[in-house]
Amino acid sequence: MWRQIRYAAGSLAAVAVGTVLLEAAGTTNPTTIALAYLLVVLFVAAIAELWTALLTSVAAMLCFNFFFLPPIGTLTLADPHNWIVLFAFLVVGVVASQLSSSARARAKDAMDRRHELTRLFDLTRDILLTTEREGALEAIARHVARRFELDVVSIFIPSPSGGWQIHHGGATAPDLADADLNEAFASATGAIEFDARTRTYGGHREVASAAGTLTLAPIRIGTRAIGLLATGGRALESGARDAVAGIVAIALERSQFLEDRRSAELSRQRAELSSALLASLSHDLRTPLTAIRTAIVNLDTAALPEEQRREQRRVASDQLVRLTRLFDEILDMAKIEAGAVEPHRAWVTPAEIVEAGISHAASSLGSRQVEIDAVDDVGVEIDPRLTSSALGQLLENAAHYAPTGSIRVRAWTDGDGLHLEVRDSGPGLQQAELERLFEPFYRGQAVRQRVSGTGMGLAIARGLLAAEGGRVWGENDASGGARFSIAVPAPSRHLAPVE
Amino acid sequence: MAPRILIVDDEPSILATMAPLLRARGYDVSTATAGHAALDAVDRQPPELVILDLGLPDLDGVEVCRRLREGRAIPIIVLSARGGERDKVAALDAGADDYVTKPFGAEELLARVRAALRRADGGAAPAGLINRGDLVIDVDRRRVSRGMEEIRLTPKEFELLVFLAQHPGRVLTHRTILKAIWGANAVDQPEHLRVLINALRRKLEPNPAQPRYVLTEPWVGYRFAED
Repeated sequence: MWRQIRYAAGSLAAVAVGTVLLEAAGTTNPTTIALAYLLVVLFVAAIAELWTALLTSVAAMLCFNFFFLPPIGTLTLADPHNWIVLFAFLVVGVVASQLSSSARARAKDAMDRRHELTRLFDLTRDILLTTEREGALEAIARHVARRFELDVVSIFIPSPSGGWQIHHGGATAPDLADADLNEAFASATGAIEFDARTRTYGGHREVASAAGTLTLAPIRIGTRAIGLLATGGRALESGARDAVAGIVAIALERSQFLEDRRSAELSRQRAELSSALLASLSHDLRTPLTAIRTAIVNLDTAALPEEQRREQRRVASDQLVRLTRLFDEILDMAKIEAGAVEPHRAWVTPAEIVEAGISHAASSLGSRQVEIDAVDDVGVEIDPRLTSSALGQLLENAAHYAPTGSIRVRAWTDGDGLHLEVRDSGPGLQQAELERLFEPFYRGQAVRQRVSGTGMGLAIARGLLAAEGGRVWGENDASGGARFSIAVPAPSRHLAPVE
Repeated sequence: MAPRILIVDDEPSILATMAPLLRARGYDVSTATAGHAALDAVDRQPPELVILDLGLPDLDGVEVCRRLREGRAIPIIVLSARGGERDKVAALDAGADDYVTKPFGAEELLARVRAALRRADGGAAPAGLINRGDLVIDVDRRRVSRGMEEIRLTPKEFELLVFLAQHPGRVLTHRTILKAIWGANAVDQPEHLRVLINALRRKLEPNPAQPRYVLTEPWVGYRFAED
């Protein structure tokens, strides 16, 4: 309303200014004056709407009549001359106003298209930069809502088991009846035809919902509809809607590709793992079996001296211990993978854990010297079996991979719980492998050939500790060797000497 | 003098059991736990036979095979715990004579050792006339007969038979045979060999379904039966 009053006032002011200027110039030739008024009408019509142009035409004619046509100071509409002038002013006003308004409409249209393109471009970029796996569809819907300033953006994908998977990205989550969705989807899966004027493939449908009227547009890959895109809160041109739906389709396809690639990569890794496992298990099982079989044949040889007979028995029993441990490891691994490890906490001292860990690793440690620095006057509530087994794995590791030099074990408690540390004076760890060391069956590049092993030890240590909320990590010690640390969160208390 | 055997394995338990096994059968046994050590030992005092584990800490077993073969005719028996045919075939291609897969029986290994030593003792490939049971191969006159019956072979079949028969008891990989019969370009076409072996067995074997002369080493190659 105010806008219209402003326009009216502006147009009248233009006519008044023109009249004053003409008076001041003292022009008397009616043709010159009429042409000058025509310019004013043309000018107003070029920048204002039709009704303003008409108002200006009438005002200009009245001023021309009143101020310049004799008898001056009167309005004499009876003169046919005046009607011709009025008609000319009106025609100029209407034509100029039409031309200018259609030019403005075109300019606005072009502007809108540009905005739309910018939004589509931004949306495409958002989507291409989206790498999240969980909730990828929600993220896509959120991007659409943000870029197009929509209150409602929901993606509906028919689930294979019937019903709909719904992903909301707007501020409001509409509640659409399955029947509406089914109907819209059924019509979208029919024949499609491109409408060049609205730039759309059609199949759009309006539905009423609690969140206002929503428009459902089919999401198509090629010509195949794979879902529906609901938008609402702001009118979106159908062409733009189709374009958004197209981008959503590409995004869906892309996230599917990413998912496929990830799972292909995962299964490749798994296959690699299992073949590594088979190779290493095969070696670790066959070698002791061969030795035991040969030892038995040797024991059957009558001529074998008693001393060698004892040696053969020792080798066979050592290899049986080795096989037993391998089976234990396989069982531990299976339990961890099945999530069947349950912690049973008890109050023990760090020194007891170290003692149990060393006895666990006794056969690998052999006569190796182990330096122990363990607190024995503080109790800590942990699972002694899991913790000492994990420590045992670290000690075995140290014995295997740092074949010479001392092995040092430290055990203490603080406010967080129990801490254990195993340091060796071996070659240390490779920085790039620190993370992978604890993956099942992973074996360090440098030692793979040199030392036989299953690659299960550290994975078992990690799995056992995880069951009681603890963790284990490896790093290089300042002294050059490897340092593995265990931390188990647990309550601890000072043990008062019993009198 | 007792034949000298070098056992190369990084597993102490294998050395601790195999050395007494072979010593008790009168062989003179020495051991090495790594590839370079084995090559040095062979250079110092060449043994009559090498028993070589493929999984060595310093050098790939196949590489050790190749280096042992350079300019020497010492028979090599490969021990493989990997169970993988590919390793075995690579070792045989690199010059090994035979293989045993862990866990093997002691008797099996001893039989392979005896056969390898016997072959080495037999010296150069038999020329002129090859007798195997009732089979007689006259290499010079290109004739084959079983008992009183003459067997007619195509030139390729004859070539294959002679090549196999000249290495009795030794495992010949597909690759080795293909190279010997068709040349280096044919090594990747084992189907040629399969067809030719079938044709040869039909003419040669009394019962081609249970061959007596041309034996299959599954996935690896073929072996001509020893006496």
